[in-house]
Amino acid sequence: MKKTVFWIGLIVLLFTLLSNVNAGGDQEKSGKAGAKEVVTLKFTYWGGPDEKTAVVDAIKGFENTYDWIKVDAQHIAGDYDTKMATMIAGGTEPDIAYLNLGQAFPWADANKLYNVYDLIANDPEMDKSDFLDSIWYNWAPGKSFGTNSAVESMAIFYNVDMFEEAGVPLPPAKAEDAWTWDEFVHVAQQLTIDQNGNNALSSGFNPDNIKQFGFQFSTWYAHYMTMVYSNGGDYISKDGSKFTLAEPAAVEAIQKLADLMNVYHVSPSAVQAKNIPGGAAGLQAKKVAMKQDGQWSLLALGNSGMNFGVGVLPKLKKSVTLVLGAPTVIFSSTKHPDEAWLLYKYLADAQNVLNLVAGGLWMPILKDWYTKPELVSKWAEGNPAHPEGYKDAIMRQTLEYGVAGVEYYVMNWGELDSLVNPALASVWLGKKTAKEALEEVEEKANTLVTGRYGF
Amino acid sequence: MRNILAISGNKKHPSGSLARNRKQEVLIGVLFASPAILGFFIFIFIPMIASLIISFTDYALVNKMQFIGLDNYAGLFNGSDPFFYKSLGVTTYYVLLSTPLCLLFAFSMAVLLNNDSIRGKAVFRTIFYLPTLIPVVASSMIWLWLFNPDMGLINTILRALHLPTGMWIYDENTVIPSIVIMSLWTTGGTMIIFLAGLQGIPRQLYESVELDGGNAAHKMFYVTIPLMTPTIFFNLVMGLIYGFQVFAQAYIMTEGGPNNASLFYVFYLYRTAFKFSKMAKASALGWILFIVIALLTLVVFKTSKDWVHTEGGK
Repeated sequence: MKKTVFWIGLIVLLFTLLSNVNAGGDQEKSGKAGAKEVVTLKFTYWGGPDEKTAVVDAIKGFENTYDWIKVDAQHIAGDYDTKMATMIAGGTEPDIAYLNLGQAFPWADANKLYNVYDLIANDPEMDKSDFLDSIWYNWAPGKSFGTNSAVESMAIFYNVDMFEEAGVPLPPAKAEDAWTWDEFVHVAQQLTIDQNGNNALSSGFNPDNIKQFGFQFSTWYAHYMTMVYSNGGDYISKDGSKFTLAEPAAVEAIQKLADLMNVYHVSPSAVQAKNIPGGAAGLQAKKVAMKQDGQWSLLALGNSGMNFGVGVLPKLKKSVTLVLGAPTVIFSSTKHPDEAWLLYKYLADAQNVLNLVAGGLWMPILKDWYTKPELVSKWAEGNPAHPEGYKDAIMRQTLEYGVAGVEYYVMNWGELDSLVNPALASVWLGKKTAKEALEEVEEKANTLVTGRYGF
Repeated sequence: MRNILAISGNKKHPSGSLARNRKQEVLIGVLFASPAILGFFIFIFIPMIASLIISFTDYALVNKMQFIGLDNYAGLFNGSDPFFYKSLGVTTYYVLLSTPLCLLFAFSMAVLLNNDSIRGKAVFRTIFYLPTLIPVVASSMIWLWLFNPDMGLINTILRALHLPTGMWIYDENTVIPSIVIMSLWTTGGTMIIFLAGLQGIPRQLYESVELDGGNAAHKMFYVTIPLMTPTIFFNLVMGLIYGFQVFAQAYIMTEGGPNNASLFYVFYLYRTAFKFSKMAKASALGWILFIVIALLTLVVFKTSKDWVHTEGGK
């Protein structure tokens, strides 16, 4: 008898615990706090030391502007996803936060995130069109959990001195002048030099002993997808029903990139790349002449003091750049959506995080900062992180030819990537062709394709 | 205190009150053990039961939980999940390779370090035990450098000796053997247990072998190994249990790559839970692993009758 009571008690306890987990997020939103009553917002974010300092400063500025709002800003240094998962499971999620997309979309589907369009609609000062078009995360028609915390896109970064030494023309900065693939490979070959001083075009070139590579790229999605988009391909079909990376346009783009490593030897393989210092250092040490990278690398390049330039990536069919980032979101459990929106807007205004924007780590998310010369001059010129050509090669390229990357619209992206990315490893190593590797995973990938966001 | 005195003073009382005292004794015992019992219930047992219940739902952190019966388990076993069998296979391969090698390695080390003729035994024992004390994160970082194909120490030495070099953890075929090599480095704990076992072997048994004209091989196969079987058995079971739970190497060194060749089961479970928020599926994965380990342990226990030497004979 006692045993039965014990077990019943235990099970009741368990269910209470479990149901609390659910109840935590669903608290009724209490009415708007009185105008001058002190309101505290919990805000969580990630980032390196520079980012942290800038955010802390921005928060101070915000608290001075809106003196009835206190911000409990928590910088989470590592394992961000796990901590957010724990918080939401325990019903202690913040009011406003940076969030990774692997969590943002499912949580938005479960109504845990605020529809930012509602907040904008009620705000006379702001309109949806004030933000860059390509950076909205929509999880259903008319529903968005917001935009990027900052805009990032892909471009070519190069060491000017190395081009001059080789007597090769610099990469073009304007989309309309973008190199074709063949032109690009030819330039990269001239800039790839072995230990004996032969470049990759000469007959004596020794691909096993390369001193300097023409072009370096990484093998995660932002790099190959830029080329896939440029070639008219996509990750999934328009209707979100099918995996399309194994189709000719995508396969061709990926194969061309892999050939840079294994056929032309102008790019370091995954293994060779381990000996090339990351960030700005590889360019500075003259281990590579050109690098495909995100615009955030400007921060390190600007600090390095080297003579570098930026250019648009080569084109296959059309010149594009891939836009990426991660969103700032407002949790629907917040008791203070209006104040959270004020903070959201404040952080969206590049003026308040100008150090990061002028320093090269971030790009602004509001269109005015791309189009109004007096605002552009505050960040995109006249500082070491933004060399000549930046405004064409990255700023305008992002505004006019920016394509929102896969994370904006591929449902179940995380799981798909954990299948596809490892499969591509053998392509980068030259063990399989892109066609073979992608057709091998096509069937499995199709089972993971669950649809397309973006409305 | 009064109760304890009462118990000790009541020893000679008739059986009725003896039973009552037994009860009191049990109660006090349980009270003293209650921190451990509570800890077990709160931190292990209840979460386990909770995860069992969750594994029959569609819980994904943020949704309203719904019971979906065996769907999570069915989805894993029917092959619609592209990673389940892969990770189970990878982990089994690791266990099959690492457990016997670790046992052999630790046992050989222990036998060597138990030899009286070795000078500075204490120093060597310390050296071989030391890696065990290094946190797995730190040792993973060290091995990451050792395994670096271009600049790593291992390939540099091989190159100097004009031997073929390897890609180690960066190649699908060698990543698991590489991690096994790394695990050999940290078998100090197992070695210490073997050493303790070796020292429990009565000397006179070796002396009788000598009197009978036996050599070192005879000592090893007729005395040492039979008498060590209980220790080997213990280390084998522990090796299996820990082997299946290998995680940090994949998490820190390979992220399950290349091409999911080191997608260890627990790493996959972690990824399912915390990267993809699929708590229910992760719970189901956890229970499957629990059952796999329990079954294997059971098999080892069943077979132990045939090969583990106990003092009382078979």
